[in-house]
Amino acid sequence: MFRKFATSTAIAMILAPVAFAHEGHDHDDDLTHYRVFVGDHDKPLVTAFDLTEPEHRWSFDLAGQAKLFAVAGGAVVAAVQSDDDHVHFISSGIELHDHGDHTDLEVSDPAMLGAPLTGPRPFHLVDHGGKVVINYDKGGYAGIIEASALAGGTIGEANFPQSYPHHGFVAPLGPVWLGTVAADGEGARLGLQQFQADGSAVGDLAPCTGIHGEAFSGAFLAAGCEEGVLTATIAGGAPVFEMLPYPEDFPQDVTTGTLLGSTAIQVFLGNHGADGLVVIDPVDQPHFRRIELPFRRIDFALDPVRPAHGYVLTEDGTLHRIDLLNAEIAASESVTEPYSMDGHWNDPRPRIAMAGDEIVVSDPRAGLVRRISTEDLSEIGTIEVEGQPYNLTVVGGSGLSH
Amino acid sequence: MKNRLLPGIICYVITSLFSVAAQAERLNVVASFSIIGDFAQQVGGEHIDLKVLVGPGSDAHVYEPRPADAMALAGADVVLTNGLSFEGFLSRLIAASGTDAPIIALTEGAHVLDDPAGGHYHMNGDEAVFHAAAQDPHAWQSVANAQVYVENIAEAFCAADAGGCEEYRANAARYNDELAALDQHIRDAVADLPPERRSVVVAHNAFRYFEDAYGITFLSPQGVSTEAEASAADVAGLIREIRQHDAGAIFAESISDTRLLDRIAAETDLEIAGTLYSDALSAEDGPAPGYLAMMRHNADSILSALAPR
Repeated sequence: MFRKFATSTAIAMILAPVAFAHEGHDHDDDLTHYRVFVGDHDKPLVTAFDLTEPEHRWSFDLAGQAKLFAVAGGAVVAAVQSDDDHVHFISSGIELHDHGDHTDLEVSDPAMLGAPLTGPRPFHLVDHGGKVVINYDKGGYAGIIEASALAGGTIGEANFPQSYPHHGFVAPLGPVWLGTVAADGEGARLGLQQFQADGSAVGDLAPCTGIHGEAFSGAFLAAGCEEGVLTATIAGGAPVFEMLPYPEDFPQDVTTGTLLGSTAIQVFLGNHGADGLVVIDPVDQPHFRRIELPFRRIDFALDPVRPAHGYVLTEDGTLHRIDLLNAEIAASESVTEPYSMDGHWNDPRPRIAMAGDEIVVSDPRAGLVRRISTEDLSEIGTIEVEGQPYNLTVVGGSGLSH
Repeated sequence: MKNRLLPGIICYVITSLFSVAAQAERLNVVASFSIIGDFAQQVGGEHIDLKVLVGPGSDAHVYEPRPADAMALAGADVVLTNGLSFEGFLSRLIAASGTDAPIIALTEGAHVLDDPAGGHYHMNGDEAVFHAAAQDPHAWQSVANAQVYVENIAEAFCAADAGGCEEYRANAARYNDELAALDQHIRDAVADLPPERRSVVVAHNAFRYFEDAYGITFLSPQGVSTEAEASAADVAGLIREIRQHDAGAIFAESISDTRLLDRIAAETDLEIAGTLYSDALSAEDGPAPGYLAMMRHNADSILSALAPR
């Protein structure tokens, strides 16, 4: 009842420091700039373009189909080509420098950085704590790259040995390293363990059968397991693991294997089977709140601008806004033709990524990237991209240009 | 029988309706950390439903907000904060919650000290966390500033609930009288100390306002090192300073790691004289469950350690 006449005060109080912070920068340009990097499904090619001026575009040849990751604060895009044993790094041309009271934004052309890394089946990439870590699934090791050096254009990889090659990950968490552990032979993944930087194990294995998917939020790392979601945090300089079992009233034959972590509040959004999402609170009960989707999930993302929101595209071509606080679908709009999830897992299907107030959606069959408003899920426009636009990532933001 | 019961039933129904109405009209107040939560409860009394984000014994500098916090903000009528960049998590939480409640910085109008070092360190487990700020945010460590906080809270509640304003102001006035008595108690006690017995060592420099108000010098490893383990040269420098000021005691802090202090204590033959509460209250069964108790505990601990023997 008291909230109505609070709005203007709240806005004034929130905006006041911003206005103050901008004093002294009267002659600076206030810029917002997003650049989209799209990998083709069939050709070894990445196309980059500026979101609002797509005629500004560049292309980069790769060794094969790539999954794209914005790393090192968005200064670099990593193109992980799992089937072709290459990782290329592209300088994004977008640099954001935090100065406390404001952020500087510098824009230049993107460019391929140095020689690519090569190794047996690079797959999961973790960008956290100033490190970029690539797991080589068939190599039995992970490569660790200093993010700051990478942002400066230097690609140097330190080797982190694993006991057995497997489809896993290695990640820094505070002062320690954590890595997945697999059994000898078929590489069945057993769980997560602390390691020293030379790859030697510390302490006991935290069981997490079939561990897959990892994300960070707040003080926690979370990973999906057959029995639940394993969380890790640091206390007294050592990792503390906790298994959060799936609730008994959840569908029992499905698990979480992909996780996203919010950068604003300590919460994760994961899949739960093909047609469910789950909001995971690593501290408070209930740890899991499941969202039933009307169709199978194609791709999902979290909104860094409005942290209570996530988006999921389902196979009927509908984009849904997820309300993470209430664990429900808040809005839905059709954005592409249907894309069935039957068939091969890597068939060309749309992918989504966030670009400020927009969701960008690759539409491989139409040869388009679609711009969707986060406000009402309406289509703002389309951008033609040759071939079959598939995996994508976005870098950019807003800041001052002095 | 029926006639005799009827007035009672009517009275009960009316009382219940008023009670329900009163509950429905309670202000939903969110306080960023425990000390502000205590102030809010003192002013709001039974007129508010209070949610404290960073509870007793927890450090707001390193707090990670949770979904329940965002939901609390989304339903808040008033959000009370310290300001001065104390609650680093708050802007993210506000964005997540989409709240339209007024965000009140209670240090508005307080006597605020610049932070000459531009920030200070907190030990969070093994990790030294640097809290950058142009102004020292720990303004509540001066009781006079606490009175400003209380007045700001009363005005914020009045703005949100004009009907309860008279009671909010009365509560604030009553509580500020208690704060004034506390302020005088500390001043009187410090006045009894010899001038050369007015220095202590603490883990992180959250007591500059206490120093400014009451004349106790606080030495701390602030700025000594960003590492978990300060170098021998860093510690030696601090020890020289301790001897120069003839510091009388070392105090642990409820939210800080004591390992560096243990090392300094061993090097200086000073004992850790107790635990001070700087940025958070204690649990209900601890020595600092409210602001008045916290400040009395801190002051009495310091004065006891520094008293001539």
